[in-house]
Amino acid sequence: MAEAMQQHGVDQSQSGPWSVLDVYGEVELSWSPDLRQEVLAVLAKSSALAVRLARVTYIDSSGIAALVEGFQRARSHHQRFVLLSPSPPVRSVLELARLDRVFPIFPDLAAATAAGG
Amino acid sequence: MSARPLLDLELAAEAAALPAMRRQLCATLERLRVPAATRDRLVLAVHEACANVIRHGYGDRAGGRMRLSVYRVRQWLHFRLRDQAPALVPPTLVARDLDECRPGGLGLPIIDQTMQRWCWLPQRHRDGNVLNMWCRWSKGVS
Repeated sequence: MAEAMQQHGVDQSQSGPWSVLDVYGEVELSWSPDLRQEVLAVLAKSSALAVRLARVTYIDSSGIAALVEGFQRARSHHQRFVLLSPSPPVRSVLELARLDRVFPIFPDLAAATAAGG
Repeated sequence: MSARPLLDLELAAEAAALPAMRRQLCATLERLRVPAATRDRLVLAVHEACANVIRHGYGDRAGGRMRLSVYRVRQWLHFRLRDQAPALVPPTLVARDLDECRPGGLGLPIIDQTMQRWCWLPQRHRDGNVLNMWCRWSKGVS
């Protein structure tokens, strides 16, 4: 766990059909409602969302809940939703919550595209 | 509890107070040489306990406080979290089935899977709750 105060945020980009949210920093109670809004806003206008989690240094259950809500929303609207390269702290929480077998997880967009997302 | 706490921290029941709590708890566990993976899970579990107090204990009430105390008792680490929020009804505190995929409700399962024992004690004649959590740290978290 990092000792210094972390910045957090999300960079948004487009890569072919994919909208990409590149999340960084600590995703927890103070900020996860904003991430949830960001995820749902992208899903309102895009048919494919990839959430890159390689730069996430900490995530709690509220951050995971934002991802679950996005995943469920995408599934119910026949959209693609994948997680990319989760950092070790994220992977650890996904495994703890047994969500590593629920989310489609890929190392990068090329792999997600090849798998049909 | 007669043992001297390894950490005794009073904090505001606000999300903004949690990063500093995590850093202090992490430093305490590092001093005990708790392995990194175990340490991170314990910090997450305690964070989830604090987050539950903020969201479900105090809810919209501003100005709430909570107190985290950490003790080492033989091979156990004991985490005690006290608040002055309205007393919760114990039967409502059940860790949900993790095979059920839905947003929310993950805090208690994380605590349940990390700690060997935990119990939530509402105060009988006044507001307040005490959450006690124990982890057998010498064998790590399974």
